[in-house]
Amino acid sequence: MRAPDVLQDEALRRLSRAERLLMVASGKGGVGKSLISISLASTLSEMGRKVGLLDLDVHGPSIPQVFRSERLIRATKHGLEPLKIDGLELMSLGYIVRGSPVPLGGEDKMSLLKMMVALTNWSNLDYLVVDLPPGTGDEMLLAIRALKRHPRSGAVLVTLPSMLSLSVVRRALDLLRGEGVRVLGIVENMAYIRCGGDTVRPFGSLDYASLGVNVLGSLPLDPAVEEAIASGKPPHKASREVMEAISAVASRIEVMM
Amino acid sequence: MHEWSLADAVVRSLLGFMASEGLTSIREVEVTWGEILELDTEIFEEAFYELSRGTPLEGAKLVLRKEKAYFKCNSCGAEWDFKTADEILSREFEIMEEPAGVRESPLHFLPDLARTLLRCPKCGSRDFDLIGGKDLRVSKVVA
Repeated sequence: MRAPDVLQDEALRRLSRAERLLMVASGKGGVGKSLISISLASTLSEMGRKVGLLDLDVHGPSIPQVFRSERLIRATKHGLEPLKIDGLELMSLGYIVRGSPVPLGGEDKMSLLKMMVALTNWSNLDYLVVDLPPGTGDEMLLAIRALKRHPRSGAVLVTLPSMLSLSVVRRALDLLRGEGVRVLGIVENMAYIRCGGDTVRPFGSLDYASLGVNVLGSLPLDPAVEEAIASGKPPHKASREVMEAISAVASRIEVMM
Repeated sequence: MHEWSLADAVVRSLLGFMASEGLTSIREVEVTWGEILELDTEIFEEAFYELSRGTPLEGAKLVLRKEKAYFKCNSCGAEWDFKTADEILSREFEIMEEPAGVRESPLHFLPDLARTLLRCPKCGSRDFDLIGGKDLRVSKVVA
């Protein structure tokens, strides 16, 4: 008999407690995946859903950059309590280690991820949005284990419309599909720029048909997003166009899940 | 205070294990815990027995085995134990333990943060290995 993996069992159980589990991933870094995660979580919350947002990026957590807080994470009888900001429940290592590096790899990283997830005490959520770091490493493997056993789960892949980004998305897609994870679709980020009356597509246009996956929406490359983050404003409200694009993606996800 | 949530994790995991293995009872379970977790074993035992009550796990004897931690620097070769680590632990980062309102190091909750919260006491490097003493695991089940 093989003894049970206590922390993994508990981590998967806690991830499964939410009514719906939504993973946001990308192949490459720098495509705006965390901004999409944050914006989707905020939009779903504004649509009346109870939403948690879990940052699984241990090396470069982004969520605390947007949802800033000096409050300490609290430990109670039930584990580590997520911070509650702007109607969302939030957990990120960034709230614990602040700006310090987390030099970890392999088994140590998986062990940290399992412990953090096993201890986080979410309330009864309609959605738990999981923001993954780039790539197909330990974080994605843990998320895949949770997605596979959750009846209402799905993954969203974020990409730029560039050939380089797409080739990495294809690998992530292969992995997810091979593991039986439901891929809801692709969000194309930084797809175009409004310049005067023109629309410029700096990365060109891609045909996603060969991937056999839905395109849930396209977002502009809009300097207002960076300005919003700098001024502490929610990024999904940076401009009317961004807000409408994210709302459309969130509505599609609602229908699919 | 994380004793209750960890005991809950052990009980739930064991119940799942019993179901998958077709076990209706367990006589003894050994849980190995790393000293970095700083478990209060009395509270853990109380929680384990309380949470087992009314489940197929009720009646199982809990044996707790503490595992020592030690650290080895990959840069200068220095070795140190948990007592030293606790003394040199950065107090820059804290978690608020409720309901007492006591500030604790995150290390006791997330031992793998050692390289963030500690540096080699001899050379100051963060490139060290933490050997043992950080996990919580079921190490033996006697049916």
